[in-house]
Amino acid sequence: MAGPANEDARRYLFRRWNSIHARESRLAWALTSPTALIVFGLVIFPAFFSGWMSFHDVSLRNLSSVFSAPFVGFENYVDVINNWAFKFHSLRSWGAAITSVVYSFVSTALTVLVGLLAALILNRKFRARGLARAIFLFPYIAPIVSVAFVWRWLLSPRTSGVLNDLLIRMGALSAPISYISTRGLALIIVVAFTAWRYFPFAMLMLLARLQAIDSTLYESAAVDGANGWQKFRYITIPELRYVLGAVFMLRLIWTFNKFDDIFLLTGGGYGTNVLPILTYQFTFKSFDFGKGAATAMILLGILLLFLLVYLLFFVRRGET
Amino acid sequence: MDRKGNSEKKLDVFGHLTRWFTLPKFFFAAGLTFFLTGVLFPFYWMITSSFKSYAEIGSRTPVYWPSSFRLEAYRELFDPSHPEFWNFGQNLLNSFKVAAPTAIIAVVLSLLGAYAIARLRFKGKELLLNGVLLVYLFPAVLLMIPLFAMLTKVGRSVGFSVQDNLVVLILTYLAQTLPVALYMLTNYFKSIPAEIEQAGLIDGCSRLGVIWRITIPLSIPALTSVAMYTFMIAWNEFLYALVFLNSPEVFTVPIKINMIFNDPTPRPHVVMAASTITTIPVMILFLTLQRFLEEGLTAGGVKG
Repeated sequence: MAGPANEDARRYLFRRWNSIHARESRLAWALTSPTALIVFGLVIFPAFFSGWMSFHDVSLRNLSSVFSAPFVGFENYVDVINNWAFKFHSLRSWGAAITSVVYSFVSTALTVLVGLLAALILNRKFRARGLARAIFLFPYIAPIVSVAFVWRWLLSPRTSGVLNDLLIRMGALSAPISYISTRGLALIIVVAFTAWRYFPFAMLMLLARLQAIDSTLYESAAVDGANGWQKFRYITIPELRYVLGAVFMLRLIWTFNKFDDIFLLTGGGYGTNVLPILTYQFTFKSFDFGKGAATAMILLGILLLFLLVYLLFFVRRGET
Repeated sequence: MDRKGNSEKKLDVFGHLTRWFTLPKFFFAAGLTFFLTGVLFPFYWMITSSFKSYAEIGSRTPVYWPSSFRLEAYRELFDPSHPEFWNFGQNLLNSFKVAAPTAIIAVVLSLLGAYAIARLRFKGKELLLNGVLLVYLFPAVLLMIPLFAMLTKVGRSVGFSVQDNLVVLILTYLAQTLPVALYMLTNYFKSIPAEIEQAGLIDGCSRLGVIWRITIPLSIPALTSVAMYTFMIAWNEFLYALVFLNSPEVFTVPIKINMIFNDPTPRPHVVMAASTITTIPVMILFLTLQRFLEEGLTAGGVKG
């Protein structure tokens, strides 16, 4: 029954199956599949599922039969956009959307600026430079919980708070201030904390680029009689431009997504409520999973918008 | 005569000083001092405060140096006979139980995956690498919600609890760290010449044999860096642990510190003692393995 043609086909198939290329790619898939599976199952799929949830009414009640949750269209989105905590009211009360955008832009700019200063300092040769560099990284390495609570104590509203004590001793204050529970001030504190904690990342990236700048550029500028500022303005900054852009964008995305810092410092109160915290509150405080998912999708939407603007304006111009 | 010589000498010193202490140097010294104090003071405060007494905590003005090094706060954390015992040792153990497996599994899986991406030819490689990098974009709070729902659903049908389950935490941390680990190792493997491995293949080693005998020994620094990086992420992580853990005996360290902080009786020195204990291992790891780690930091960022 098994004619020679059939036999040939089988042999051909076997040879293909057993060819070096096929074996190589089978091995490759075997090696990458655990990682791919975990990342797909726990990141990519959930991301799409979050989109699905944002159009459905999911609460604690029907969480265990989540796939039969009723479809509600854009209702969750409308709820979020009309929510008091989300909406912009006045200059005194911004709502989470505007606060998020302002907070992430201002703190990212400050982070990159402080990181640039630190990188410039570490770009000079001095004794114990390696140690200084390691120390500069401490805020970034330390557990967020520890450093956030240290800051909260340093900023304590009582006279025993270190910042209050210093400012009173210097005569700048007559009575202690409660930094973390004053509107406006709280946002400034959160921005300062973000810059303090994340500048080392910007510093490392910028330092790597600084050390790669061709030193002959500076030498020839010196021959032409350029002073220190001119060298910085016309050599260092142009050389750093693309790294600055990339670092800014990365930090902006991460800051915009970040939950822990503000949650631990202010709990999202006093004008520091940002979208990640609002998402958390909708989901795990009011247990409205659909609404939480809708907030998260809005967050992602704004993020993609940032990314699009960056790709259109920064990267395009960089190529030409 | 004598006096004159003296004043000349003084002038000389002054002149020397002005020549040495130029304006850029002044800015540099001021900047360095500013950064060092700004970075180190909070850590100084954390460590010294952990030795303070309740009286020093409650005083009207801050105590910058504890009058003696009391271990009161540490006893509250670790000593079962203390009336305010927090059982913090258990939490340290929990954190270790989460962080160590995360690090080990991440190293093994990313080693295999990165080897395949760097050395083997197969369809879908770029897609895989780029898809994996998408993780950077998705906010943790966005993934939190579907993960919670999915795992609750799966848990109900298979029969495990999502809450208080350390395995669930390990899985989510793996999903967060594997992409960076994969990326770091792929870049590293691309920097090792493939000829060494080809020699091994010609000598009759299998692919896995080559990985085991040649690639792993050559990439110990990179593997250490990946292990440390994932360990640190898992050790420091807050949000997922906050959502997935409910009972204090399974809390990881960050959540437990949060709980101590939010206790109705303020005990900041205990919080600082717990923070010190949590931070010191990370710092020691970092300082000893600094060179390896920095590469990892720039390659991946701690995603946060």
